[in-house]
Amino acid sequence: MNYTFQFGVVLARWPEFLEGAWVTVQLALAGFWLGAPFGLFFAWVRTSGPKWAKIIVGIYVIFITNIPVLIQVWFLYFGLPDAGILFDKYTCVTLALVVATSAYSCEIMRAGFLSVHRAEIEAAETLGFSRLHTVWYVVVPHIVRTIYPALANYFIVMTLSTSMAMIVGINELTGAALNIASENYRNLESVAIAAVLYIIITFAMSLSLALVGRWAFRVKARIF
Amino acid sequence: MESFLNQIPAFFSAGNVTLLAEAVGVTIALTFFGCLVGFTSAFLIVMARQTPGRWAIPLRGAAILFVELFRRVPFLVTSYLVLFSIVIVIKNPSLFIVGLVSIAIYATAFTSDIIRGGFESIPRQQIEAAQTLNFGRWRTMLYVVIPQSWPVILPPLIIFMVAFVKDTSLVGYIGVFELAFRGKELNNQGFSGIFVYGFIALIYFCLSFPLMRFGYWLEKRLATSRGQESQRELR
Repeated sequence: MNYTFQFGVVLARWPEFLEGAWVTVQLALAGFWLGAPFGLFFAWVRTSGPKWAKIIVGIYVIFITNIPVLIQVWFLYFGLPDAGILFDKYTCVTLALVVATSAYSCEIMRAGFLSVHRAEIEAAETLGFSRLHTVWYVVVPHIVRTIYPALANYFIVMTLSTSMAMIVGINELTGAALNIASENYRNLESVAIAAVLYIIITFAMSLSLALVGRWAFRVKARIF
Repeated sequence: MESFLNQIPAFFSAGNVTLLAEAVGVTIALTFFGCLVGFTSAFLIVMARQTPGRWAIPLRGAAILFVELFRRVPFLVTSYLVLFSIVIVIKNPSLFIVGLVSIAIYATAFTSDIIRGGFESIPRQQIEAAQTLNFGRWRTMLYVVIPQSWPVILPPLIIFMVAFVKDTSLVGYIGVFELAFRGKELNNQGFSGIFVYGFIALIYFCLSFPLMRFGYWLEKRLATSRGQESQRELR
């Protein structure tokens, strides 16, 4: 029980922590923005595509959402080389994050599509809106307002799951912290600093997402 | 392709099958007990957060802080934090307990809002009525709030448990011999990665998919039973 905290040794390595944090942010952004368009496409297929495509996408989503991302990363990084397919570690992790995002955001967007009622569209038609105007002024704002908070929340969760990149040896925040810990044995201190940085990063993200939501889409996204 | 088909008989040797079966047991135990402890402490956190009075401000603050901070830390980092903090106090802790504590902390942080939402769905007047009848806080909880709010709370909790089944796979990194870790071990022994991880993924799917269906089924069932009740009242 005689543990003396020594944050000094660990804090001296701050450039590595910041570099790690930057990699974390990059991975999160790449995973989200490369995955979300697929999610949108899948959501469209699942609501109004041909029946066979609906079934295929449905099975894909169910499988991806029920298997740990860790196993997916391992499969890509340690499994696929057996079949002669080699990815470097960044591609592997980004691919796993993109696949996860496409499946989870598909579910979120599908719920958004389904929340538009037939009556709203009919009301717009009655008011003499053209098809394009109906979509632009009635359907899109409704969908955006429904899915924005959920997507913002998912983005935060996905930022946290980028810590998975540590297992293939990427020095993002978790990896950097464990690296530093393995050199000077200040385990608790370096992991605690990583945790604090994660809190700061995700809090900044939530705050900016909430502000963007409020100004651009008039959505009340929660910060806390 | 040839080579990993040839590995199948060796892979399903008695030793490997018992190893994996034990690992599945560890994963289930981690999820179940971790969530049990987590849900209980989430309930206590909600109680702490709803404690009235000025003297309880630090208590409420601590409850809010705990939830808000641990929601923003990755599970991997949480489990390392728990491991390294426990090691200070106890020299050789059981790693299963460490994994369980980290799952419980994570579950507490992510489910206390669900529980709070469920409790707040009860009309204020009912709690005031209970107070008028001289019910204490715990008795109000036990006889008025919980009986009405559990149908709202339970289905999302079950669906959250699915996420924890998947998160237990990370506990292998602090040295708990659970399913994913055993899979990695078999891969290191020379079995084809495609086959091993495919099989492990299938086991995870078999654990998590029925739980998810059960959650949705429960949600639908409890929702309809409530709907029928309100209709009965109308008649």
